[in-house]
Amino acid sequence: MKKLSMLITGLTLATGVLAGAADQLSVQDPYVRLAPPNAPATGAFMVIRNGGDKDVKVLKADNPVSRVTELHTHLNEGGVMKMRPVAAIEVKAKGEAVLKPGGLHVMMIDLKAPMKEGDVVPITLTLDDGSTKQVDAKVVRPMAAPAPAPMPMMEHKH
Amino acid sequence: MSERILIAIAALLAALILGLAFFWSPELPERPLPMAALPPGGDFTLQSSTGPVSLKDYRGKVVLVYFGYTYCPDICPTALAATADGLKQLTAEELTRVAMLFISVDPERDTPARLKDYVEFFHPNIVGVTGSSESLAEIAKRYGVFYARQKVETAGDGYVVDHTSDTYVVGPDGRLLSKISHASPPDQVAAEIRKRLNQP
Repeated sequence: MKKLSMLITGLTLATGVLAGAADQLSVQDPYVRLAPPNAPATGAFMVIRNGGDKDVKVLKADNPVSRVTELHTHLNEGGVMKMRPVAAIEVKAKGEAVLKPGGLHVMMIDLKAPMKEGDVVPITLTLDDGSTKQVDAKVVRPMAAPAPAPMPMMEHKH
Repeated sequence: MSERILIAIAALLAALILGLAFFWSPELPERPLPMAALPPGGDFTLQSSTGPVSLKDYRGKVVLVYFGYTYCPDICPTALAATADGLKQLTAEELTRVAMLFISVDPERDTPARLKDYVEFFHPNIVGVTGSSESLAEIAKRYGVFYARQKVETAGDGYVVDHTSDTYVVGPDGRLLSKISHASPPDQVAAEIRKRLNQP
């Protein structure tokens, strides 16, 4: 009976969260970097866009393949790279948060089993209003960051 | 225990020196100096999975040197992927004249065997080496590398290592020639290596 009520509560919550801030968000190019052998941790990266009129905070990320999942960023202090957990990743209204190597990322710590290229890791982002968004991130080999896009030509059309 | 304290003192001193280097500038030169002087660099011997490796074993080759550790969650893979992609742009002939050393500054967790699998994942030309904390500290000092343990509860064994993330370029004569900054695009890495390969 207790289980049943928990289930019902769970379902109610699940329905409740569907209509939350998560609906405003869209996620582009999510990927998990394939961890090198013996590396106990790796990162997931993506671009989170907020199409809504309200700022949204990502408070938590979860995934089934690592024992611990945290939101992290990097501080470059005089050339010393410092990785630190952050409490939240803010996605401004009509703005975006870019999660990329060397910056903000979802840290996957203590992997339960080695991954392989092409695996898909479901990552659940929990937002500040309690709603959640699931992102399917593909596992890819580490690669150099793509070269920055060429500067757009300055055009002076009138 | 006393070693811990010594390491802590060393780290404190290093932080102090670094702090001074950044914030203490009694006389600002009117114009920036043309080029920051490179650290002295120089030879060293560390342990690989197949035995001791010295920088001077690679005379005649351009050697890239990177300081990191395998528990490094993001920075080292980012830097190594960029450098490895640069190496992949070289011709087979050029590659025979290029080596790369990945020096782990986390000898407590990184054994040479562990390092081997890790680095070869990025590129077969990379050799993983490490040594005692004393020798690593001494080499790091000569190369102008900073690293320090930082407590992070959820990290493996409770710590990460903050570190500088440049790749050092050592010429065929063993002299430190330049630094490639963190995660430089592969084109730049390849160009820098070629420049050094073709230097008279």
